[in-house]
Amino acid sequence: MNEFLQQFVIESRELAQAASDGLLALEQSPRDAERLDEVFRAFHTLKGSAAIVEFPGMETAMHAAEEILTEARAGRQPLNSAGIGQCLSRLDQVATWLDAIERSGRIPQDAGARPVEVTPSPAEHHPDAAWVADLVDGHRAAAGRALTAVRFVPGTDCLYHGEDPLERMTSLPGLLALELSAREPWGGLDTLDPFRCNLILTALSAAPATDLYVHLQGHSGECGIVSITTGSGDSTRSLPPHVVGVIEAQQALLEDASPQSLAGRAGSAGTVAANALRFCGRMELSERISHATDQSLLALSVQPLREALAQLLAEDAPAETASADSVRTPENLARTLRIDAGQIDALVRLAGELTVVNNAIRHVAKLARAGDPVVPDLLKDRQGALEHLVAELRRSVVGMRVRPLRAVLQRFPRLVREMSANLGKPVKLVITGEETEADKTIVEMLFEPLLHLVRNAIDHGVEGASGRTTAGKAPTARLEIKAKRNADQVLIEVSDDGAGIDLARLRKAAVARGIMTEERLLTLTEAETLDLVFAPGFSTAARVTEISGRGVGMDAVRRAVERVGGHVSISSVAGQGTAVKLSLPFSVMMTHVMTVEAGGQLFGLPLEAIIEMTCVPQAAISKVGAAPVVVLRDRALPVIDLASVLGVGGALADDDGANLVVATANGECAAFRVDRIVERLDLVLKPLEGLLAGTPGIMGTTLLGDGRVLLVLDVGEILQ
Amino acid sequence: MTVRIAGGGRIELVGVCPSGDAEALLRLLLADPGTTVDWRECRGAHTAVVQVLMAVRPKLLGPPAGAPLKDWVAPAIT
Repeated sequence: MNEFLQQFVIESRELAQAASDGLLALEQSPRDAERLDEVFRAFHTLKGSAAIVEFPGMETAMHAAEEILTEARAGRQPLNSAGIGQCLSRLDQVATWLDAIERSGRIPQDAGARPVEVTPSPAEHHPDAAWVADLVDGHRAAAGRALTAVRFVPGTDCLYHGEDPLERMTSLPGLLALELSAREPWGGLDTLDPFRCNLILTALSAAPATDLYVHLQGHSGECGIVSITTGSGDSTRSLPPHVVGVIEAQQALLEDASPQSLAGRAGSAGTVAANALRFCGRMELSERISHATDQSLLALSVQPLREALAQLLAEDAPAETASADSVRTPENLARTLRIDAGQIDALVRLAGELTVVNNAIRHVAKLARAGDPVVPDLLKDRQGALEHLVAELRRSVVGMRVRPLRAVLQRFPRLVREMSANLGKPVKLVITGEETEADKTIVEMLFEPLLHLVRNAIDHGVEGASGRTTAGKAPTARLEIKAKRNADQVLIEVSDDGAGIDLARLRKAAVARGIMTEERLLTLTEAETLDLVFAPGFSTAARVTEISGRGVGMDAVRRAVERVGGHVSISSVAGQGTAVKLSLPFSVMMTHVMTVEAGGQLFGLPLEAIIEMTCVPQAAISKVGAAPVVVLRDRALPVIDLASVLGVGGALADDDGANLVVATANGECAAFRVDRIVERLDLVLKPLEGLLAGTPGIMGTTLLGDGRVLLVLDVGEILQ
Repeated sequence: MTVRIAGGGRIELVGVCPSGDAEALLRLLLADPGTTVDWRECRGAHTAVVQVLMAVRPKLLGPPAGAPLKDWVAPAIT
């Protein structure tokens, strides 16, 4: 992809995000004129950028949204939910296009030909607007064959600029009927200015909307094009080949949707497919796809939409299928990161300083060859300087990867809006601490776990409006996502003021699902009982809903969070709500480990898993049945011989004392018996790759100073 | 000239009338509002010209020669 296009993609994404945020804010406060201006500017800039890279399809779509906003700005048509929805769907479309550009490195060829519903809101541009009805009534015969109705109001000064709107309209593709009317009464003839255009031109055409748009593009004025359907809606007719092509392209798009891009993809693909069907007059099919799209969005799975599209094409099987212009590549999209120029300057300066130290060390090496006695002191001095620089370099690089959580949190208002509408539960989302920063990897992995939590909260956590009123609560539920930084940790809390978790029901479910016996449940504290929701395959939902409740939610959340070295906990008060806290490392680049020796080999244990390290007399370890147990701080802990569990040696020889490392993961706690506790290290962990990828019990590797490979163990998996 | 006065004071539009004809046509129509406009030999007319016809609404003698005028414009303004 050329640099120009790359820049376009980056900027467009930012603008689209800004526009989307603004639209959602406008939904809350529709009278915020400043916000409206902001959103308008974002769309306007998007349109301008599209023109610069010569992408007429996007220009058209942005123009359509701009029209809706123009009406709202002028106070002619207040911005309602439908208008906001239409603007948002334009943005979804943009996201899809940008994805396509990133994959293929070029402007999508079929974008211009996609049946975009061109000028949707202002009310007069709806298919049921009065002018459309008049036009259809006045031209019954023509209307039977018409696909589109056009209302074109040329700019009043267009004639001065040499434009000829009438010529444009009489040469409209597929023209079936034309009507001319005056925008304002003509007035006195002596004051008539023949060059002030005072016309409204309306027409019916047999051509699709996009053809008309292309034809009218570049002319000044306002233009509304609506796809119309007349007649009986012959449902036995098969789909036109190009519509089938468009639908197939959407199917292809859904095939390689990653979970991150899924919401946008399903939304865009569904909208495009539904519009394509509407455009060829198949309203009932269009409805079906729209419905499936909603289902997909809410279930956060492309499955419903994928199935609906497949079924649709299967029903239409005898129809010819056109090959779709879609580029299928793996999901390896170009990953870009915007970096402040100051940070780059700092890196350049560091590179310079490293060169200086390198030269100094080279000098020491020369001295060493000559056997100079000052070498050890000099070397120590230089190493100190190098260490300082390496630390600074690391800080700079980590700093570059730092992103505000806004990148992921800002996606939620939209999703909550949809879920809330779909489930008919009014929910107000409050996000605080969006500016909290974390490493890019953390920010990027957060979406999925947070989504699970938000879905759970809306689906199971909060009650419906009537339930809330009965419980004496405000009818609108409050869902809060709070983020903050605490030293090396990023803390995120998702809380709701819903019904809370019913412990009795939870215990019953745990027994029913065989997660725990009734006897053992009785020994659990309340917090430990609540923690059961994270157990694999646990779901207390009495019914499986579209949004959640397939029992994959919470354990997936815990797995994802722990994969990056974080942990998750839950608290709930019956009748008052539930809160889930995620605690994540600020950065995944640095891992603090304690190195231990077992079976003559060195292993690393993540420091965050370690509770304490101690040396106990051999006699303190007793046997309970076959299992060795040690009592530490009044608590009996199983003793695990690290060497034998890793298969690198037998049980340790009895000697005076046993070195124990007490570690915990997933609520399990154990004492690992090791030969020796070595030292604490901060290191950059490399995940296991290739054949070793997925080896259980190992988190990653790193190279030690002497060239040995250190395996860092995954305490959680070993305890399992 | 594509706008001209023919015998009997009738105004004739001939050939393809450019936007400049609008003013000439308006002047002629203002001078004699009751006059007939004969556009049977008109093959095309600029928007400005058609606007004048719509505003003044003179008696039109047609149909015009050009297909777009005949098919679309004439039915729309008469």
